[in-house]
Amino acid sequence: MRVTEIQRFCMHDGPGVRTAVFLKGCPLRCEWCHNPETQSPGQEILFYPSRCVGCLSCAAVCPSGALRRGPEGRPAYDRAACKGCAACASVCPSKALAAAMTEMTVEQVFEVIGRDRAFYGNDGGMTLSGGEPLLQGGECLKLLEKCREAGIGTAVETCGFFDPSLIPALASRTDLLLWDYKDSDDGRLRRYTGAPDRRDVENLIACDRAGISSVLRCVMVKGVNTGRDRAEGVVSLFGRLINCRYVELLPYHPFGDSKAAALGRETRGDASLIPSAEDMDNFAGILAGSNIRVKYRRSKSV
Amino acid sequence: MSEYGFYTPEGFSRPVRLSETTRRFAYESLGHKYGLDTKRVDAVELDVEPGFDDLPPLEQYDIAVRRIAERAPVRICDGERLSGAATLGAAIRHAVPVSLKGNIICPSLSHLTADFDTVLSEGLDSMRAEAEKALSRHAGTAREAFARSVINTLDSFEIWIGRYVEALETACARDGSFAANLRNLRRVPKKPAASFYEACQSVWACFAFLRLCGNWPGIGRIDRMLGKYLENDLAAGTLTLGEAREILAHFFIKGCEWVCGGDYGSGDAQHYQNLVIGGVDADGKEVTNHVTYLVLDIIEETGISDFPTTVRLSSHSPEALLRRTAEVTRLGGGTVAVYNEDLILETLTSFGYPLREAREFANDGCWEVQIPGATDFGYIPFDSLAILQHETLGNYESDEPEKRFPDFDSLFEAYASDLDKAVKRIGGMFRPAYRFGEDGSFEGFAPSVPCTVVSLFERGCVRRGLSYLEGGPEYRIRSPHIGGLADTVNSLYALKKAVYDDGLVTLSDFFRILRDNWEGSEALRRHMLNNYRYYGADNDEADAIAARLLDRFADSCASLETGYGYRFPAGVSTFGRQLEWAPGRLAAPHGRKSGEVLAANCSPTPGTDTLGATAVVRSYCKCPLKRMVTGAALDIRLLPSSVEGEDGTGALVSLFRGFVALGGFFMQTDIADPAVLREAQLHPEDHQTLSVRVSGWNARFVTLNKEWQDMVIGQAEGGSKSFGATGSCG
Repeated sequence: MRVTEIQRFCMHDGPGVRTAVFLKGCPLRCEWCHNPETQSPGQEILFYPSRCVGCLSCAAVCPSGALRRGPEGRPAYDRAACKGCAACASVCPSKALAAAMTEMTVEQVFEVIGRDRAFYGNDGGMTLSGGEPLLQGGECLKLLEKCREAGIGTAVETCGFFDPSLIPALASRTDLLLWDYKDSDDGRLRRYTGAPDRRDVENLIACDRAGISSVLRCVMVKGVNTGRDRAEGVVSLFGRLINCRYVELLPYHPFGDSKAAALGRETRGDASLIPSAEDMDNFAGILAGSNIRVKYRRSKSV
Repeated sequence: MSEYGFYTPEGFSRPVRLSETTRRFAYESLGHKYGLDTKRVDAVELDVEPGFDDLPPLEQYDIAVRRIAERAPVRICDGERLSGAATLGAAIRHAVPVSLKGNIICPSLSHLTADFDTVLSEGLDSMRAEAEKALSRHAGTAREAFARSVINTLDSFEIWIGRYVEALETACARDGSFAANLRNLRRVPKKPAASFYEACQSVWACFAFLRLCGNWPGIGRIDRMLGKYLENDLAAGTLTLGEAREILAHFFIKGCEWVCGGDYGSGDAQHYQNLVIGGVDADGKEVTNHVTYLVLDIIEETGISDFPTTVRLSSHSPEALLRRTAEVTRLGGGTVAVYNEDLILETLTSFGYPLREAREFANDGCWEVQIPGATDFGYIPFDSLAILQHETLGNYESDEPEKRFPDFDSLFEAYASDLDKAVKRIGGMFRPAYRFGEDGSFEGFAPSVPCTVVSLFERGCVRRGLSYLEGGPEYRIRSPHIGGLADTVNSLYALKKAVYDDGLVTLSDFFRILRDNWEGSEALRRHMLNNYRYYGADNDEADAIAARLLDRFADSCASLETGYGYRFPAGVSTFGRQLEWAPGRLAAPHGRKSGEVLAANCSPTPGTDTLGATAVVRSYCKCPLKRMVTGAALDIRLLPSSVEGEDGTGALVSLFRGFVALGGFFMQTDIADPAVLREAQLHPEDHQTLSVRVSGWNARFVTLNKEWQDMVIGQAEGGSKSFGATGSCG
C-alpha cells in the first residue's frame, strides 16, 4: 500500500479513538486540500530547508543529481530532476528531506492498527483516508477484511470518485463511510476540485442502497461554498439517503500549506478562507431546520 | 448564572450547581483571600522555664504542641461551613511551627495517609480510653514516655478545638452565624460522627490539626469514609444531595489557600494532599457512591485542585464513573488522575499485603500507593541517568571503552551492577536504626524525631506504645524510587543502535562527541534525535530495555529485604527533580545536550512521544509495573481542542479503558493549552485560578516560579504531539 502516514489516537476521523491510515493518490485537486502530499500517486520528496544542518549527506547519495551543493554549502534541490528514489530521505539526519510515501504491505499496516486495539472500545477502530484511499481498492478491501475479522471497527473516508464495482465488497466490510461531499453545484465542483462528473453522488446513492452507513462531511471554505444554495443541496442529497447518520461541517484550515510549500507548490492558504462562526451557524441552521443532525466546531480564529 | 467564574478552557463550560455563597467562598479562596496570613505568624515562640533544654525531646515536643494548640491564631472565614485552620507559616516549611529563641526545633512528617476512620466511628473520647489503657500497660517500660505523650497530644487537640468552639460561640451570640459549625464542633471529633455534616467536620478538624502541627497527611478514600453517613442521612431524609454537595464543597474550598511569597518554586498550595475515590472495599464490593460523584461535581464546578483526586478505575468500574472522570478531566488543571486497581491489587498482594488490606489502598498524599493509616512510609529518590553517566560510562572519559564494553550486553550488565550498588547504598541507610530486644528479636527503631500527633492517627501506634517512626504502624516502607528512567533507557538504546547495531560511530568517538557536548557533530545529534524511536513511541526494542532495566531494579530492591523492620519496594518517580538534576547532567546519546530538562516520572523524554498518547501508554505498560509496588506515574498532556465535545469525552474514556486493559499503574492527564500558559506567564493577574498538574501535585500556574512554569509549558507543547491532528482529506 502507498501510505503517507498512519496516525494513532485520532478523535476526528470517525467515532471513538481511531487509527487513521492515509493513502497516496487522489483523482481530485481541491484548491483547499489539507493533505497535498497525498494527491499524486507517486513518490515525492518533502523538503524543509529550515531543518537542514548542511551535512550534504543527501548530495552524496543522490543518483540523479537533483541534490547538489548550493549556496553557503546548503543543498540545492532541483525537483524536476528528482526521480523520487528517496535515497536522500533515508540519510538525512534531521528529516529536512522526507519521503511523502512509504510502501507497506497490508499485513504491516494491519500490525500498526492492531497496536491500539485496547483503546478502540465499541465505537473506535481504523479509518482509511487519504488522498482517495479507494484508488488502492484491492488492498483496502483486504485491510478492511482483516480488521473486520479481528473485530476492529472500519471506516473509509472518501471523496466518492472511485470504481463503483468496489461497492458490494465495501458493503460487507465497512461500518461507516465518511463522505467528503465537496459541493452540490456542478460548476463549482469542477472549478475548485477538477471533478469531471457526478460519480460521487452516484456512488453515494449506490453505497447507501447497499446498506452502508455514512456521514456527510462538508469542508467549509469562506467565499466558496458556505452559501445557502450549497446548504440546500446538502439537505436535498441527505433526503435521498436512508443510511446517512448526520452531517459534519469542517471549517477550512490552512494546515496543508507547510506541506504544500515543502512539495515546492504554490501555497494558497489564507486566513480569509476560514469561515466565521456566523457562516457556520447559518449553514448549520439551514440543515437543522430540515431536521438533519449537524455536528461542527465553530472556528475560533475569526 | 453566577457572579463568580472559574478558569475554563475555551470551548468548554463549567456547570453551576453550588449556591452563590459557596461559589463566592471558592472564588475568594482561589483568589488568595486566605492563607497568606500564615506569613504573619510563622511559629509560636516558646517562653519556657529554665530546664527546658534538659528535657527529653518527646517532652519538649509535647510542650510545643500544647503551645500551638493554645496560641495559634484562630481563623474563621466568612461563610465557612466547616471550621479549623492551619495558620502558622513554619508548617509550610515542613516543621513543627514552634520556635525556641527564634529557632525551629522539630521537623514534621509527610508522605503518609492518616487513619480518619477510627476517629469518625469512635471519637477522640474513645481513643483517649484506649490511650489510657496503653499507658497503664506500658507503665515502667521504655514505651511509657510515648504512651504519656499520646495523652498529652489528645489534651492539646481538645484545647485547640475548644478555642474554635469559643470563637464560634462569640460569633453565634453576636448574629446567629456559624450555629451549625458550633453545634458540630461541640460534638466532633470528641464523639463519633452521627451525620454526614459531622463526619465532614470531624475529618476536617483532624486534618487541619495535623497540618497546623506541620504534617502533611494524605486524606485517603474520602468516599469510602463518608459515603455511609450520607446514605444514612439521605435515607432518613435529614439531608439532600444538594446540601451534601455544599458541605463537601467547603472541605475542598477550605483546602484551597495561597501561601506563596516565599522562595518556593513548585507552587503555593498549603494543603495539596491527594485523595482517592472509587474502587472496591475490603470485601471486594465497589465503593463508588454519592460522595464519589459529589467530589467530581465540586472539582468540575470550581476547578479547585488543592486536593488532587485519583480515581481507582478497574475493568469493573461503573460506566458512569468512567464518564464523569473523563468529563472532569477534560476541563484541565490535571485535578483528576487515575489508578488501575486491577494491576495495583495484584501488585500489592504479590508483595505480601493481605488481600483485605490491599483492597483499601490509597496514597501518601501524593501518588505513591500505601495502606492508609497503617504505613510508615518514605521514598528515596535517585537519578538513574547520573549513575549511567558518572559511574558506568565514567563521564565518557575512559580511553578504550570498546575493551570494557565489547557488546551491548556487557554495557547493560555493567550498568545493572552499578544500579544494584546504588540500591544497596539506599538499603544501608536504614540499617543502623534497628533496635533489638535482649533475645535478639526485632523490637522497632531507635526514637528519632518526636511525632505523636501523626502517631495518634496511625493504627497500631497507640496500642504498641511505639510512635510512627519507631515501628508503631503495621507496615514500614522505604521505597527506592528510580528517576531519569526514560533517559537512561534512551541512552542505552541509542548506544545499542548507533554503536553496536548500525555501526554509525565507534564507542570511543561517541564518548568524545558527548564529552564535547555534540559540538561539531550536529548531524549525528539530529540523526540520534530524529531517526530512532525511543521509549514512549511504542518501539518494542526500546521498550524492552526499559522492561529489562526495571526488572533488574526490582531485583535489587528485593535483595534488600531482611525479614524484619523496613521493606524496600520499588517505585518510579522524579516528581519535579528533573529540574534540579538537569544542571549536573552531561550530554546524552539520544541527542540531548548537557543540562537539558529531561523526562519526568515514568514518562517519555520530552519530544520523543511522536506517535501520540496511545503509543505512550503502550510503551509504559510494557514495563514490569507489577513490580513497582509503590507506583510508577505516567504523565499525559493533551490539548483542550482535542478533547472537546462528546467525542472528546469518549476519547478519554477509551484512553482510560486502554490504560486499565494494558496494565497501567497511575496516569495523570492534564489538558493544557501552551498558548494559554504563556499568556498566564505574561499576565498572571488575569489567570489566578488556572491550575496545572505539576507532578504528583497541582499548582495554580501563576504561583510557580519561571523555571517551573517553563517546564510545564514545555511539557504541554510536547503534549500537542500526543495527538493525531485532524487529518481529514478535505
